[in-house]
Amino acid sequence: MREITLSQAVNEAIAEEMRRDPTTFLIGEDVAEAGTPFKVLAGLADEFGTERVIDTPIAEPGFMGIAVGAALTGSRPIVDLMFGDFIYLIMDQLCNQAAKAYYMSGGKLNVPLVLRTNLGATRRSAAQHSQSLHALVAHIPGLKVAMPSSAYEAKGLMKTAIRDNNPVVIFEDKLMYNDKAPVPEEEYLIPFGEAHVKREGTDITLIATSSMVQVCEAAAEMLAAEGISAEVIDPRTIVPLDEATLIASAKKTSRVIVVDEGHQSYGITGEIAGRINEKAFYHLDAPVLRMGAMDVPVPFSPALEDITVPTPEGVAENARKLMSGEMIHAA
Amino acid sequence: MADTKTNTEDYMRMYRQMVRIRVFEDNANQLYLSAKMPGLTHMYSGEEAVAVGICEALTDDDRITSTHRGHGHCVAKGADYKQMFCELLGKEEGYCRGKGGSMHIADQSHGNLGANAIVGGSMGIATGSALSSKLQGSDDVTVCFFGDGATAQGLLYEVMNMAALWHLPVIYACENNGYSEYTKTEEIAAGSITARAEAFGIEAFTVDGQDVLAVNDLTQKLVARARKGEGPFFVELLTYRYHGHHVGDINRAYYREKEEETIWKESRDPIVNFGKWLSEEGIASAEDLKTMEDEIRAEAKQAVDYALAAKYPDESEVDMHVFAPTDPATLRPGA
Amino acid sequence: MPHEVIMPALGMAQDTGKIVGWLKQPGDAVKAGEALFEVETDKATMEVEAPADGFLTDVQAGDGEDVPVGNVIALISDTAEDSGSRVAPAPAAGDAASEDALPEGIGVIMPALGMAQDEGVIVAWHKAPGEAVASGDILFEVETDKATMEVEAGQDGFVAALLAEAGEAAPVGEVIAIISGEKPATPVQRSWADKAKAVPAAAPPPTEAEDKPAPPKAPAKPAAKATAPVSPGGRILASPKARRIALEEGLDLGRLVESGHPQPYHVADLEVLRNLPAEAAAPATATASSRRLTAEVPAEAFAAFCAWAAEDSGAPVDRPALLARFAAAALGRPDAGVAVESHGQTRTLPEDTDPVLILRDLAGSPLTSINLGAEDVPVLTLTGACDTLTITLECAPGQLSAPEALDLLAGFAGRMGEPLRHLL
Repeated sequence: MREITLSQAVNEAIAEEMRRDPTTFLIGEDVAEAGTPFKVLAGLADEFGTERVIDTPIAEPGFMGIAVGAALTGSRPIVDLMFGDFIYLIMDQLCNQAAKAYYMSGGKLNVPLVLRTNLGATRRSAAQHSQSLHALVAHIPGLKVAMPSSAYEAKGLMKTAIRDNNPVVIFEDKLMYNDKAPVPEEEYLIPFGEAHVKREGTDITLIATSSMVQVCEAAAEMLAAEGISAEVIDPRTIVPLDEATLIASAKKTSRVIVVDEGHQSYGITGEIAGRINEKAFYHLDAPVLRMGAMDVPVPFSPALEDITVPTPEGVAENARKLMSGEMIHAA
Repeated sequence: MADTKTNTEDYMRMYRQMVRIRVFEDNANQLYLSAKMPGLTHMYSGEEAVAVGICEALTDDDRITSTHRGHGHCVAKGADYKQMFCELLGKEEGYCRGKGGSMHIADQSHGNLGANAIVGGSMGIATGSALSSKLQGSDDVTVCFFGDGATAQGLLYEVMNMAALWHLPVIYACENNGYSEYTKTEEIAAGSITARAEAFGIEAFTVDGQDVLAVNDLTQKLVARARKGEGPFFVELLTYRYHGHHVGDINRAYYREKEEETIWKESRDPIVNFGKWLSEEGIASAEDLKTMEDEIRAEAKQAVDYALAAKYPDESEVDMHVFAPTDPATLRPGA
Repeated sequence: MPHEVIMPALGMAQDTGKIVGWLKQPGDAVKAGEALFEVETDKATMEVEAPADGFLTDVQAGDGEDVPVGNVIALISDTAEDSGSRVAPAPAAGDAASEDALPEGIGVIMPALGMAQDEGVIVAWHKAPGEAVASGDILFEVETDKATMEVEAGQDGFVAALLAEAGEAAPVGEVIAIISGEKPATPVQRSWADKAKAVPAAAPPPTEAEDKPAPPKAPAKPAAKATAPVSPGGRILASPKARRIALEEGLDLGRLVESGHPQPYHVADLEVLRNLPAEAAAPATATASSRRLTAEVPAEAFAAFCAWAAEDSGAPVDRPALLARFAAAALGRPDAGVAVESHGQTRTLPEDTDPVLILRDLAGSPLTSINLGAEDVPVLTLTGACDTLTITLECAPGQLSAPEALDLLAGFAGRMGEPLRHLL
């Protein structure tokens, strides 16, 4: 199978969907001429014209609000938010307007909008360009949240997001744009609410989002050499969440670590761990661990930045402890 | 004579719509005061000529966005009493199945994209609606209603900038009623309101918001130009709200003098003045108008009684409409 | 002093740059600012300039190659000769360890020695490195807590390596000797303490030298290998799964506590629990936790009943059967099996059932008072004969609760005292 980069996969998905549905359009900063600073959207303005690939001034609340209005009136915008850190700027339009329109109107006004943005640290971009803020939006009823972990997921989830009749926020890991993965030539979509077991195992379950999937796969390799069989699962979408697959795995292995690049506290890991605690309690032989980024703003210095995020060694170390029954926290 | 007849119809409809708004608000206020309405609402009484003057220049395909003070826009854009009262009371038959309430009332069938509880929250939506017209190649126009207080919101400038850059068919209608909640406008808006739009190269106009004909005349011209791609436009309508910021704001002498309120009510009432004009022009007599008013009051009473007796949405609806359904057939390859 | 020529940063999305072509050859003189090579960016082709005057030397990458951004790809030196100062590749993993490799062969492990033993002390080797050995030969002796145990070689062949010395302790399950098929060229004798130096085949290779800072630590802070203190309220700390399985299997976590097994308990600890010895048989003296109840009834009632029963049926009375029926009935389980011991014989009635109760019929014997302590099931003992029949009930608290014990004894005594009434 051919291998393409995550960047190319996203580009293909958007191009295919824009060909399929003339009401889709792209809007954001530097999307047309430049194809965004990450070059993901290169070539789309050439094919679809600047009528449908719209460059905006640096006005995030403004163009997000415009996108919401367009979505309410028969268009299907794909909004490009250059850095996930800027999501704070658009919270009213995203969470008060887009997320709630369908509910507040009693089912009459829906918002088929995709917000395409990114997450991920270790790029030396410092605190305001390195955040992983998916937990903020996952908390808001009315928003769907997708987190592709490779080029394959990126294309399939983007296509579904564009066709979904609700506001969807897709977070791509900005460190992965040049990473290749096998991507079919034929058209495919990845449904929301379907987790993917990346690697089967029997001793411990590692639930991971985005690039933490690769971190956990590496940890699983290390553990396999030590005779520990780890199962790695990628939820792919946080909202809706495929609980059933996660719970079944927890019951199978009786040990779980949830790994995510959002902050350790009040994040995705807490939610998933909480659900496993509730629904697989009597099958747990170890506490469910959460591994997120440290509760610090992302530091600039490489010596500091790299220790703030989960690593394969860290995951493997925790896995070993759970396997041996060692107490991670005092009883 | 055909013209006059058509105009007569238009004038009568304008008058009727203004009265319908006034009567609606009177009833809504009563519902609040008699503790029958949950939550708060914001009265539009006194500003009828603004909503009616503008909406009478629009079709059902044209869209509006509204504010927290949205009943006037809703009625003016063609909404029906029963469904409005039901919505205010949180009943199932409301425009939003009771789930939006006064501050989020929307009437999608008549192009009302909804009231908004966030000040300035709908400016982006209105501008986006205009972008849709452009993308879809239609000549539908969108009117964005907002108050003088909302000119303090950054979003206004972001969207006016883009509307101007892209020549969007949107009319920004600033209902300047002299007060931003409990503070006089001159204390919260520096400089000139219309100059703000002009800074973006947007043509801006000021009009007497109590004169329904003046409002309507200006709007018709701007709508026609917007349909031709000459938009956006900005209109500042000088008007006055008779009640407080919301229905509970009853003792308000501390920020607004009784005298001032009286002057506006007695000499600048849009309905009274338009009624006088209609009589003077021989279009309708005072009795005709009185009859119409009585009919509307009766209709309102009926609607209120209906709404009071109507059922609440079933509990099972509480978690409905969080997400819109997506046809699974569209999510297959090749679809 | 040589200047480094580095693949420059090329754009936010680019990690590597492809060298389109060198514009200077190794050994060429160059001036600062002159273009050295062209590199492909996603927008166009970019020229990279020489950082200083000098000669282009030590070129590391050629036309068409992809070089990571930031890597040194050449030097500008004072002379035209290569200085030879290429970046040395990271040392290959495991190079240094070749002389420590173990000989090939089949491992002999320290066998499991007993429930409480994790390691065994090797008392003596019976074979030396290099010696031939047959499968049934004794290879070594190991000390267990009971005695010294002999361990066979288990393989034909030659002793290729002994990995522990006599007198050393080695953990159960570890390989402590290797037997090879061929006579070994260099048989190995090591001490167990030397094990740390050996490079077993499965070790992961050391990480390669990189520019990045120290490897990241896991955010979760590891606790010391503490065990849970026994909490004062008597609460036992165990995982939900361990508790559920213990409940399902009728295992008592309290026994793990009593046996001193450290908490918290996980599923693996249940195996220890399952293998704990069964509770000791009743000690000679009744323990404080045994129940012992006595009752007295007039002896003649049962005797008379037996006589009547014999008359009625025309057959000799089956006393054990009657006693069994009364006992079972008193227990509230009329079909339960009761083992009746009398005159040196034990019959379980009904036959082929597991007795839930033992009835010792010692009536008529000289024995008057019984205090034997609890057994596997409750025991009713009949003593006395002439006027008064004494019935003694003994059981463990876990077998019958106090009310149950009282009901049993009262019920049985009642039946023995007024048999006809109970039959009716």
